[in-house]
Amino acid sequence: MKPHQLGRGALGLLGSIVLWQLIAGTHLAGAALPSPLATFAALGADVSGGAFWSAVGQTVGVALLGLIASALAGIVLGVLVGSFPAARYSTLALLEFLKPVPPIVILPLVVLILGPTAKMAWLLTFFGCLIPIITQTMAGVHDTDPVARDTARSYGLGRVEILWRVVLPSAMPFIGTALRVAAPVALIVAVVAGLLGGGPGLGKNLYVAQSAGDYASLYAYVLVLGILGLLFIGLSRLGERRLLHWHPSYREEMV
Amino acid sequence: MSHEAATTAKRPAALPRLDVKSLAKSYGTGSKAKVIIEDLTFTVETGEVVCIVGPSGVGKTTLLKCLAGLQTATSGSAAIDGRVIDGPPREMALVFQDYNRSLMPWLTVRKNLLLPLRHLKLPAAELRERCDSALEAVGLTHAEHQYPWQLSGGMQQRVAIARALAYRPEILVMDEPFASVDAQTRFDLEDLCLKIRDDFNMTILVVTHDIDEAVYLSDRVVVLGSKPARVLKTIDLDLPRPRDQITTRSLPGFAQQRTEVLSLIKRPA
Repeated sequence: MKPHQLGRGALGLLGSIVLWQLIAGTHLAGAALPSPLATFAALGADVSGGAFWSAVGQTVGVALLGLIASALAGIVLGVLVGSFPAARYSTLALLEFLKPVPPIVILPLVVLILGPTAKMAWLLTFFGCLIPIITQTMAGVHDTDPVARDTARSYGLGRVEILWRVVLPSAMPFIGTALRVAAPVALIVAVVAGLLGGGPGLGKNLYVAQSAGDYASLYAYVLVLGILGLLFIGLSRLGERRLLHWHPSYREEMV
Repeated sequence: MSHEAATTAKRPAALPRLDVKSLAKSYGTGSKAKVIIEDLTFTVETGEVVCIVGPSGVGKTTLLKCLAGLQTATSGSAAIDGRVIDGPPREMALVFQDYNRSLMPWLTVRKNLLLPLRHLKLPAAELRERCDSALEAVGLTHAEHQYPWQLSGGMQQRVAIARALAYRPEILVMDEPFASVDAQTRFDLEDLCLKIRDDFNMTILVVTHDIDEAVYLSDRVVVLGSKPARVLKTIDLDLPRPRDQITTRSLPGFAQQRTEVLSLIKRPA
């Protein structure tokens, strides 16, 4: 980002805080909407406590673990299923059907089996990110240039080597997009697992603050989640850029 | 060099390097069958440059895929030193027309060269030597750490040729290799092709629709007729070696043989 873009971003942020203060000042929403000052004060109090950081750690840990596990499983499954037309066509409808289903629907089931644990939150995050990564990887595998495949075959590369050295890198732009979309989803699901499923972490804190009527604390957690979301997106973009520096959409930055 | 075909013919015991016999390829079966190649027979001897010319869409790429073992012929056969090709032959390297699709954009020039070599399990020193000498042969030593897409079209095709050379093939098969570059670059690449033949005693088979190019490069031209593909005529060329873009192309013989090939292609089949 260029300096003037950063400046405008800061201006927008400042404006929204002012707007927030104005609305909170009218007392229209009553106690349910604390002022920014009260929220920042609550945030300051939270940040100084160890419990807060362990909650952040739990949520981020669950989100990252779920994301990494779903990436590994999704890429392996996507490459395997995508490599065999029969497997591809027999699973495509099912996967497309499952894609828009929010992971929350299996929450009761997962909570029933694993209880309100970090493992439950982790599993929910895993399933929440898995399907789009599989379908995107399959699309990327399908998109591999036949000339690149023929080149590899003509040089006597074996099936596995072609998958590893030609098909997988070819699918990387698709996988990169899937991961960039999945990163914030992982965070959301990790929070929801705490909020609705009682798993440890920021979600649970959010729920506790809400039931206690501690709205300043509630909004402090929302702020923290927003910042974490920004970090997740920023890091996944950075990762994608590094991984796909050769791709036409990132090339100009190299030359 | 141009007399080699004749000499070999006197030694019936010797097998042609590349021997294509009654090769046919069709897709589908029965009444719905689409015949792409009807019946192709020709040979290429060691150290020869043979061009296959024919109108576009004649099925030249299908032919090359059959030769490269990427597709199976419906009937007939192609053989290297008498051994029928039933999979990608180790002795052969392919250069595609679409260099930007054939080179891997995520690999640097050097790593593109290494891609076909990894499964050969060569010692590191030999890998290095093969890449160095192949890059030197095409004049791209300076570009080894660049990515293909940072290079011009002609340079990219040179990288593809270097990759083929590093594989140390005995037969180089090129599918319209210079069709996607500008005229000046095409001349340079044609001369590179002839230099490779001379330096490595390489057997080279080039598919092209450019008749001038075919006459300039070849010891022999196989003229294909279309729909389905079949050999109209095989013409032995006797233009003197070494060839030169200016003097060879202004020889009366060049114009003569060019006319001969052109009239075969233009003539209603």
